[in-house]
Amino acid sequence: MDEHLTEGYSEPCKQCGAVSWALSDGCQFFCRNCHNVIEKTQDVVDVSSFILNNKISSISSSSRKKTRREGGREWMVCEGFQFILKLQAEALVGLGVCPQFKTDVLWDFWKRYLQITRQAYTRSPVNSFTNTVYLSSESEPESAFLSEASDQTEPMSASGHSTDGRSSVCSGSLDAACYLSAKERKSRQLMNMPRTLALCHLALLWLREAITLADLLRLVSRRLIPYINVYEEFPEEMQFYGRDAIIFRVETIPSYRKVHGEALQMAEILQLPAFPPVTSDCLLHPALLSLRYLMEVNLPDELHSLVCRVIEKSAMGKESFLTFNPSKPKSTFLFYDLQAAALIIVTMKLLFKLDDHVEWTLSRKAVKKDDQGKKKTSKQGSKMFSLKAWYMTVHPALERARQREELFEARRPWKSKKVLIPAMKHKAVVLKRRRVVEQLQSSFHTLTGSVPEQQSSSPSSFQFLWGQEEDSDGPSLHHKRLNCMLEKRGKEKWLVNQAYWHTDLKRCHKKDCRDHYSELKHSLPRMYVWLLGLFSFLLRVSEAQVHKEVVEVERRLLLRKAVPEEDNHKHRKRKGRKTSSSF
Amino acid sequence: MDDIEAELGISRSVGNEDFSDSSEDERVARKIRPPILLHSSTAQARAKESGFHESSRLCLKAIRDAMLHHHWQEAAQYLSAYSQTLEDTTVNKQSLACEIIWRLGTEILQHHPNSRLEDFNALYEQMKNSGVKNYAKICLEHSFHLLLNGHIYDAKRQLSVAASWRYGKQSVPQSLDLKLIHAYCGFLDYVIWHMKKSSVSEAEDNSSNREMHSYFRQASVTLQEIIAQPGVWDPFVLSYVDMLEFYNDQEEALKVLQNYAYNKDYPSNPNAHVYLYQFLKRHEAPPAKLISILKVLHHLVPSHELMQEYCYLLVNSVVPGHLEESLPVVFNLLDYPSWKNDLDTWNCLLTVMTVFKRKGLQHLIANEWKQRKDFWLTMHYRAYHGRKDSELNRELLLVKAKVAKLLGEHGKPDHFFKYKLLIIFIFLMF
Repeated sequence: MDEHLTEGYSEPCKQCGAVSWALSDGCQFFCRNCHNVIEKTQDVVDVSSFILNNKISSISSSSRKKTRREGGREWMVCEGFQFILKLQAEALVGLGVCPQFKTDVLWDFWKRYLQITRQAYTRSPVNSFTNTVYLSSESEPESAFLSEASDQTEPMSASGHSTDGRSSVCSGSLDAACYLSAKERKSRQLMNMPRTLALCHLALLWLREAITLADLLRLVSRRLIPYINVYEEFPEEMQFYGRDAIIFRVETIPSYRKVHGEALQMAEILQLPAFPPVTSDCLLHPALLSLRYLMEVNLPDELHSLVCRVIEKSAMGKESFLTFNPSKPKSTFLFYDLQAAALIIVTMKLLFKLDDHVEWTLSRKAVKKDDQGKKKTSKQGSKMFSLKAWYMTVHPALERARQREELFEARRPWKSKKVLIPAMKHKAVVLKRRRVVEQLQSSFHTLTGSVPEQQSSSPSSFQFLWGQEEDSDGPSLHHKRLNCMLEKRGKEKWLVNQAYWHTDLKRCHKKDCRDHYSELKHSLPRMYVWLLGLFSFLLRVSEAQVHKEVVEVERRLLLRKAVPEEDNHKHRKRKGRKTSSSF
Repeated sequence: MDDIEAELGISRSVGNEDFSDSSEDERVARKIRPPILLHSSTAQARAKESGFHESSRLCLKAIRDAMLHHHWQEAAQYLSAYSQTLEDTTVNKQSLACEIIWRLGTEILQHHPNSRLEDFNALYEQMKNSGVKNYAKICLEHSFHLLLNGHIYDAKRQLSVAASWRYGKQSVPQSLDLKLIHAYCGFLDYVIWHMKKSSVSEAEDNSSNREMHSYFRQASVTLQEIIAQPGVWDPFVLSYVDMLEFYNDQEEALKVLQNYAYNKDYPSNPNAHVYLYQFLKRHEAPPAKLISILKVLHHLVPSHELMQEYCYLLVNSVVPGHLEESLPVVFNLLDYPSWKNDLDTWNCLLTVMTVFKRKGLQHLIANEWKQRKDFWLTMHYRAYHGRKDSELNRELLLVKAKVAKLLGEHGKPDHFFKYKLLIIFIFLMF
């Protein structure tokens, strides 16, 4: 049977001494007498004959058809994506999102998508079998024989994809080949893995859930939402191999910017109407979101009222501004989480100036005032918020968290338990490598005597824990007072810090001018850059993006014509006096 | 669907590294890149890499840190996580991964407290069979490891399997390693022969004797072949000669050694002459012959330890003219800092100088001394040396003093006078 494959090898078997070798399924040599398996696999000379066999078998295609019919069924790639979306929705509902997310919103979006891209729910779907039968009479005998499984790239328009008889066979799904040409993908707006996350994000936004895009990506990273190697959970009937791998395998968790861009595109494709308005009681509103981030970074709660003032002054709390409306051409798709972070940073700049001098002076004053104010031995320690103390608490925690994150990333297993074989001719190599990897890992595990770390990821929306507990990152500073930042002048309280600095607020004329942060970075105050770094770590974005958002907020705050000019220089906190700008 | 074009281009060539016929040169010419620094990459490259590659880069960094801090347990854990890079679809990264895991794995196993020989064997076997670029090297290292742990027969078996390995065009760049494998095959035959020889008692045991002789035949065939090629083959030459001496084949041994020492094709190797000298000394060759060999050695390595013997040979030689040559030899020897504090050398110098004085050859001493007096005084005769010698090596001090007396007649007596005063002072102190 396998003599032609094993005839080159005539070493006697180590256990029984006979020379009769055969090839196992895993492409390993084994002795027919004593079934001793050796490490040798098929090598160079044999592969060409194997390919030859493959070609022959594709014409007769008996084996291929058999496996397909034995308990397998034909499936389209969009079915696969549907399955993935279902898993993701279930995971999100399990994390606390309301059940309508899965049953109504996401499902509706998906149906709409299928309808608009004419993959289903339409009278004339793109991938229909009638079309195939028509074509197969014209095409080569191979694909004619495989009419049920042939690729539909011949069809419709002249796509640059050449029918390679072998490649059309090599995928579990029916239309994987369509997804491989970039032109096809763009013209038909086909689905890809990052788009699944984009769709989830849009659905979450529609429901105004508290899970922002940054949270979503963090949950994906922690494997609480299936994304990497989701195809392992495909049901048995959906046979998965070959070119499917290229579509469904991920080797990167998409970045924030990418998912955001995809979400914008999806919103356009789906032709969605205006989203439900983001009111001040929903968790995506900057007022509430910034409260959450203030707690996260251990800033005092008193800061929140100042943040709300800034929101008000920059008119960022308005529903019309916050709600996403894809039907309006000029509506912007906001980064809610980045916005909240930027608001906090602007407030800090207002309070402390953050130019590497003023904030430390103010901290010293706060400590002095605290010492003066101590009448009795205070058990709670100082009451005043001192930036220095805050920095000394948060910075080590941040460094530790960064280190932990890096090591977590280093250990992340990307390869799935199911072996992916992209093409039949590589099957032997791929299986052998998988075997080697498994053996290596098991031998190292016995060496270290440890079980692979169970990633105990409790889904918490906070990455730092501040308080007195044992495993907290540091003492909590939420109750500190900001009295020393405000001084009484007459009847009003003014901020101690009267100056403000900002980078160039002019808008760039070029559309794809991304950011100037890398040029600016070395000239910015270190404290500001550190603060950007803190938020960029929390939200898993780059510092440039946070800075860009800060500039946006400053633009709205400082350049708005509607706000009276004198307010720009005097930041007053009025107690008990009604003004038009108070809330 | 990340970066599908790259995937397509790459997946077409997955396994090409194993099966393609393109040689190393072609591939290098295709992509002219600076040498790959694994632990540092540009920010640009980092921005474009996939999450998988980022993970493997961070993992490698973690392994490196753990190893540098000698946290072997941690390093082993990270290495097992790193092994997923063996399944990378990017071709060049995958082949690098094989080498990295081999080298790091062996290093970690060596230092880890719980590692056993089976772990080493398993690792070597696995890495040998994944990727062909390093096959010969891994085989060699495996057999060395077995040899060092005393499993000589296993080592021999590994090498004989490796010696018959051929893999198309991959064998060519690894031809040097294959040659080494062949050579060590022969060497291991010799080692086994040696073991059998020492275990064979005087009572003639035919089967084991025959085995011993068969190993000798195998070894001699291989070693002869190897030694015939130009190169530095010290251990192989010694082992071959050892076997030939046991079987009393002196002429063959002499021929081999002379070829090794005098053949112009071979790289210049002082050890060759040392071996030849030792062989002839063992077989009681005439002094003239010995002197001629050592003369060549003197040209090559004036500071060799055999130069003392050479000196004495020259002094005791009956051939006229040899005596005069002995003085420069010993002076040359003492020019080197390695012999500065050696009592025997100084004694040799003293002897030679007294002989010369007796035979009235002081002018030669004067010649030699003229060349050297500037730096010898600072090198051998400073107050510091005197004090150190008095603490460590009294006799040396005495001998040096005597030499000083003789040399003082040829120049710089004041310096020597001061030196002698110092010595007297020291002697009075203790």
